[in-house]
Amino acid sequence: MNESASAEPGASGKPVRAHPAEPGASGQPVRAHPAEPGASGKPVRAHPAEPGASAIRFEGVSKRFGEFAAVDSLDLDVKAGEFFSLLGPSGCGKTTTLRMVAGFEQPSEGRIFLEGSPVETVPPYRRNVNTVFQSYALFEHLDVERNVAFGLKRRKVASDEIRTRVAGALELVELRGRERARPRELSGGQKQRVALARALVNKPAVLLLDEPLGALDLKLRKQMQVELKGIQREVGITFLYVTHDQEEALAMSDRIAVMEHGVVRQCGPPEEIYEQPTGPFVAGFIGVSNLLPGKVEGSGVRVAGAEHCRAEVPGHVSDGDDVQLSVRPEKIWIDDLEEGMVSVGGTIVERVYVGTTTQVIVELAAGARLVALEQNTARARSDDRWEIGDRVRLGWHPEHARVLR
Amino acid sequence: MSSLAQADAPAAAPARRVAAKPPRDFDRPRFLRVFVGLFFVVMFAPIALVVLFSFNASRSLQNFDGFSLRWYERFFESETLRSSLLASIEIALITMVVATALGTLLAYGLVRARVRWSGAMNVLMLVPLVTPEIVAGTSALLLFTQVGLELSLTTIVLGHITFSISYVTVVVRARLAALDADVEHAAMDLGATRWKTFALITLPALWPAILAAGLLVFALSFDDFVLSFFTTGESPQPLPVRIWAAIRFGVTPTINAIGTFMLAISAVTIGLAIALPRLLGRRESGLGVLLGREGA
Amino acid sequence: MSENRFAAGFLVPGGLWLLLLFVVPLGILLAISFGTTDDLGNALYGWYPENYERVFDSIYIEVLARSVGYALATVALCALVGYPVAYYIAVFGGRWKNVLIALVVLPFFVNYLVRTYAWIAMLGDEGLVNGILGDDIQFLNTPWAVIGGLTYGYMAFMILPVYAALDRMDPALREAGKDLYGGPWQTFRNVTLPHTRQGLLAGTVLVFLPAVGDFVAAQLLGGPDEFMVGNLIQQQFLAADNWPFGAALTVVMMTFLLIWMVLYLRSAAREAREVAA
Repeated sequence: MNESASAEPGASGKPVRAHPAEPGASGQPVRAHPAEPGASGKPVRAHPAEPGASAIRFEGVSKRFGEFAAVDSLDLDVKAGEFFSLLGPSGCGKTTTLRMVAGFEQPSEGRIFLEGSPVETVPPYRRNVNTVFQSYALFEHLDVERNVAFGLKRRKVASDEIRTRVAGALELVELRGRERARPRELSGGQKQRVALARALVNKPAVLLLDEPLGALDLKLRKQMQVELKGIQREVGITFLYVTHDQEEALAMSDRIAVMEHGVVRQCGPPEEIYEQPTGPFVAGFIGVSNLLPGKVEGSGVRVAGAEHCRAEVPGHVSDGDDVQLSVRPEKIWIDDLEEGMVSVGGTIVERVYVGTTTQVIVELAAGARLVALEQNTARARSDDRWEIGDRVRLGWHPEHARVLR
Repeated sequence: MSSLAQADAPAAAPARRVAAKPPRDFDRPRFLRVFVGLFFVVMFAPIALVVLFSFNASRSLQNFDGFSLRWYERFFESETLRSSLLASIEIALITMVVATALGTLLAYGLVRARVRWSGAMNVLMLVPLVTPEIVAGTSALLLFTQVGLELSLTTIVLGHITFSISYVTVVVRARLAALDADVEHAAMDLGATRWKTFALITLPALWPAILAAGLLVFALSFDDFVLSFFTTGESPQPLPVRIWAAIRFGVTPTINAIGTFMLAISAVTIGLAIALPRLLGRRESGLGVLLGREGA
Repeated sequence: MSENRFAAGFLVPGGLWLLLLFVVPLGILLAISFGTTDDLGNALYGWYPENYERVFDSIYIEVLARSVGYALATVALCALVGYPVAYYIAVFGGRWKNVLIALVVLPFFVNYLVRTYAWIAMLGDEGLVNGILGDDIQFLNTPWAVIGGLTYGYMAFMILPVYAALDRMDPALREAGKDLYGGPWQTFRNVTLPHTRQGLLAGTVLVFLPAVGDFVAAQLLGGPDEFMVGNLIQQQFLAADNWPFGAALTVVMMTFLLIWMVLYLRSAAREAREVAA
């Protein structure tokens, strides 16, 4: 079911694809009609990539394989131009979600909208999205230039234009000069860049990335993270990024959706996810897991070590409820506590030196441990201050702790 | 061979274990080497005999009386034998083309389709591989006669194709399963329809396997006897059927010439299957593709 | 059109062909096995289970038993000779592995008939061996000639799967075995053999099934006393013109082989599950 696009060419200044295709024209991706006003409650968009406009919207999307729900009632709105990450452990449904946007899987329930238009009936080769796969999925029998040009050739773009755009894309990923190389001659990082160029050269509305940095070594990965973020800013395309690496997500994203078992546990900007987790899973998955089991008591929580910690008790829990108290390790002080801090006592059981910092692991009681982070400044090396077996007092400001259920 | 040094070392059992039994001859490479050598002698002796005596000036099978090409002349002068050779080649070529096409399509369907009946289809595809040829021959004969089709080259081709499809499917399927499925997804993601993806991406990636399978089918069809025997008409008959008739009437040296000639053709065919992918720019050889499939 | 339906369409041409030209003929075979012939020798359909009774008549059962016996002997010989050869190539082959395996396979590119004929040329009364030895030793027209011919004909089908299994086996296992068990024979029995069981089983099936139905070896290298069920079937179809009876023989043979086939597949599936677990 092909419908004509309605955007005026060039109106927004962003690269816009050429004419609405005739129904049946081979290979040419056609943007479906924008939703009628009121149909979804969202305002009709005038152009692509208008800030604030919706790039991808999920409404009650589920994907079931037999009894098993890989994705369960997903409601998300990815804004145009943002770097949006789906973060979660293996099997949480993030890749399945991505593939539904690309069109390789069909939702069992719910609807997906691309730039405001529903995509159930649009096959993958007609959607205005492109994917960068985890395994790069380069065409082994074509050289780099033909790989990158593939999408443009499908859409019958003129050869001169192809040449210029491919050159531009390779420039962007810093692979000029390698046009004649075959994929098998390239390193992992180079293959990844080709995959990126191959996707970006088509100027899709959304770029889908499925753990693209997973196969790279640490140093290269960190480097590519910075580069990817820079490229995204430069081209202004919406990125939907899937990863299980929470550091990566925190570093690159404008917003993150943390997923578990097919459900979004929390969605928001990185600082919010990190500082204000709304549940034990998010608190545990992001950063170091510092969760103390305890019971609500008055204006705080009595934790396992039988000490009472003042904390902000949220409205939905009451006295006696079992909760988890979560504190970020860099917010915890050891021994030299400030006024007004909550404090607990414990024994140091381990010190882990990681270069810039030292993790000091303190056991408050059986099964209740906290990790404190101390910076190794020139003035005060943690190794010099504390030994394993020392009894110490840990402290933090009450507003830095979260009560989670 | 470095492993020989390892194998020749005495058993590694230290003294604290049960006293090491003296290494049995069975596992000593020396004994094995002799055994394997003998094996190859026995395997190749008959063939060497056939090839050698195809150039024998006399009829004798016991004495080599000088070099001569008379048996080859006999072979190529005979109208019946010539037409049989041409028939065999024709049959093999048609079988190769059709079976490769059908087998490749079947392989793609078996790997990519997740329907309930693809399991049954898989079994259906495997059964011809383990069906004894005499069963294949008699049932084919029955089919053609019951349907009213006269036995001829056509019936032979139909029979050959039926039993060649499975070989192609098995070889191509192995190769296809090893391909990254996301490559096809990438093509679609970039705007290629499913047909275009198959033609531009899948087939080019598969062609060494398809080629190897096709040539294998050619060799098998060219050499086939039992199936052809049951489905052949009066004339022309494929070469192996003529050989059978000739042998039944007694040993004649012309058979040596025919056999040697057929060996040459088969060797060239398989040689091509192995060498072509390498020559045309691919890393893998046909041998790897074919042998990768052997064994349970 | 979803990916599934697109790919499923590919199954149709090949599937249809196999259905029409493989399954249907087998059905016809089964149907006519219950039929009879008229005076002119034409086959007619009907309900004559007597054909099967006749199959189980002592004369024919003897032939069937002989076929199975020869086939089993062939399997045994192929295993006894083939396994060591495969072992040598896999374990000691080194750089020459591929060449050696190619050499094993090479004789099989000579036409089966011509290869068997070569044995006649070698072992016949006017053959090479008799010429060298001077005596007139009766090699042909004996059961061992037939078994030898069958062994020679199907050897590669045993060697290749066994070789594949041996090659796939981690050499470290053999080293560990040598440490544990001391002697090479013990190592072989307790480590190597169990690990290559599936390969050996595959080879057994690949040799046994075609060998039972073979008629070329018996016809060329043996006499009427060595006839196998394949010769019988061939006679019924092409000489005696008794297709229904021939079909009945074929069905009985097929059923017998099917039982072993199913048992083998079950064993292979069980092994695959064990490996995966």
